Amino acid sequence: MPSTRTTLWAATLLSAFVFLGMTVDSLRQMGARTHSDKISPQVVEGKRIWQHYDCNDCHTILGIGGYYAPDVTKSYAIRGDAWLRQFLKEPGKIYSTGRQMPNFHLADAQIDSLVAYLKWVSEVDTNGWPPAPQGVAREEAPGFKIFLAQHCNACHAIQGSGGTLAPELTHEGSRQTKDWILAQINDPRGHKPDSIMPSFEQLPQAEKDELADYLAGLK
Amino acid sequence: MQYRSQIIAREYFMAALPLFLLQVIFGLAASVKYVWGYDPLLNLVPFNVARAIHINLLVFWLLLALMGATYYMVADEIKTEIYSIKLARVQLAILLVSGVTAIVGYLFQWSFGMPFLEQPTVIKLAIVVAALIFLANIALTMFTNHHTLTRTTATLLGGMVMLSVMFLFGIPFMPNLSTQYYFWWWVIHLWVEGAWELIAASLVGWALIKVTGVSRQRIETWVFAEVALVLLTGIIGTGHHYYWIGTPRYWLWWGAIFSAAEPVPIMMMLVDTVRHMLKARTLPVVNTLGLAWLGASAFVHFMGAGVWGFGQTLPQINRWTHGTQITASHGHFAFWGAYGMLAIALMYIILPQIGGHPTDQGSKLGFSAFVVLNFSMIFLVMALLIAGIVQVYLQRVMGMDFLEVQNQLRVWFEVRLVTGCIFFIGTVLLMWDLFRLAHARPASEFVPQPETLPAIS
Repeated sequence: MPSTRTTLWAATLLSAFVFLGMTVDSLRQMGARTHSDKISPQVVEGKRIWQHYDCNDCHTILGIGGYYAPDVTKSYAIRGDAWLRQFLKEPGKIYSTGRQMPNFHLADAQIDSLVAYLKWVSEVDTNGWPPAPQGVAREEAPGFKIFLAQHCNACHAIQGSGGTLAPELTHEGSRQTKDWILAQINDPRGHKPDSIMPSFEQLPQAEKDELADYLAGLK
Repeated sequence: MQYRSQIIAREYFMAALPLFLLQVIFGLAASVKYVWGYDPLLNLVPFNVARAIHINLLVFWLLLALMGATYYMVADEIKTEIYSIKLARVQLAILLVSGVTAIVGYLFQWSFGMPFLEQPTVIKLAIVVAALIFLANIALTMFTNHHTLTRTTATLLGGMVMLSVMFLFGIPFMPNLSTQYYFWWWVIHLWVEGAWELIAASLVGWALIKVTGVSRQRIETWVFAEVALVLLTGIIGTGHHYYWIGTPRYWLWWGAIFSAAEPVPIMMMLVDTVRHMLKARTLPVVNTLGLAWLGASAFVHFMGAGVWGFGQTLPQINRWTHGTQITASHGHFAFWGAYGMLAIALMYIILPQIGGHPTDQGSKLGFSAFVVLNFSMIFLVMALLIAGIVQVYLQRVMGMDFLEVQNQLRVWFEVRLVTGCIFFIGTVLLMWDLFRLAHARPASEFVPQPETLPAIS
């Protein structure tokens, strides 16, 4: 019978070997899971800029980092290209009060690289993290769920709950028609050339309809 | 203190203490930013810089304290002078220069940009050089002249080697963020839940032998079992960081199962420490304050790392809590208990020996610092925990926007700021008391003290 000590050490060594084996397998699988073929020189440059300005000590990415500023893992998917560019150019213009991000005076080429990097990150297979909010009661309109999932409430408020950056939508239905809202979702600058709202054209048509129906119903 | 070269421990401690105070100050600066909407220092010391400095200083002062204690302990265990006191001083100088350069550099955006490992590569290499000097100095002390290695010192050396090797994985730039984070955890996780646990277990073991006089054999058997279990659960337990970073799905199972077992060895350490502490009651002279820090460290280590960690280690829960203030609560509690309090305990056990107060049992000032620091930290941790729970509910479950939720949490951030200020006062009291102990008598008047404690079993 081996002594307890031998058993414990053997188990420890075995666990180290198992861990190394899993590491080899993980790295093999991570190529496809992270779309490593899409890591272009521009994406790598974006990662360098991200690290150079130590963005990760305020923001989390993949849920890791400082908890002071929003997680950016899915920011490309949520905000879209145009909004991110505008924000990175002049953060203070979009959020003029409250918690601030310094203006790093990034050059356009740097912003291009950062946005390419964030686009790449947003496509990493994260096993479903972060989870979609579940707090909406079943009887709520499906459009409201989309409103939350797309983080519209970061800028727009409904009945006092939400951001103050963009117009209140509590009575949106009594001001605009569904068609007008759909047009706004697809092309915000069509109505207002200097709008900072990102386009949500990429959403499936059914979701856009539900969202517009919901907002048009807010009388 | 029996060996003249053990005095090097005091130099490491004296360097560590002001860094601890500075860590608390930068922590306060960062927590003010959570409370105030307007940040007058936005372009001078933005949040990321304050946080980087806060955490770098934490690691920095803890390493200095643990290294100083290691020098003292190894000489004591092996029963010899340290191989080279000059090398130990060179090592301290390299660490201080590179550490301070890194911290000043952050103010000028000179950063590698990975959390905790923000040190630019040149500085990381300097740290590696210092680590190699340290390992060489310790190993030469242990192995020259055929000194007998005790199990406790062997474990300590193992921990220090593991610490140095793992640091190397944090140096390269990797184009793929997921791969970068995969190996980043080899430094962060395998340090705090691997190498540092080994170092802590052996130092606690040694301290218990010194302060309580419990027999070496009993302590070493426990240290050994604890260390084996730490590694057994902790290595694959790294998997709890591989749930959501682009790694395969099977980590959800492996990470959950192994990390759920991680509190077991920590609980063993707690039971073990308390059991041996109780024996100390029969001794005529007991370093009460040193022992209080040691016992409290074992308890808070178990609460902060074991209970708080277990609370969010299962993927079903972690999916919601990952990247929120709950992690900040866990981080503060675990680091304070497992390593901060341990470093302070070691200072209280070692400094009276060096300063010429071998029978010191703790002053009123020292006990006040103990109470103020621990109570304020508990309230700080609770404030962050509540903030985190509310954040999970509002942001992750209800889908409210991040910044709006942060506004809702303001009251808890205010509580955290107040408790942080009280913690600052505690830190000043602590430093005052430790400086008093360290400099009770000048080194020139040093008289070697015989072993004062009888061994009991």
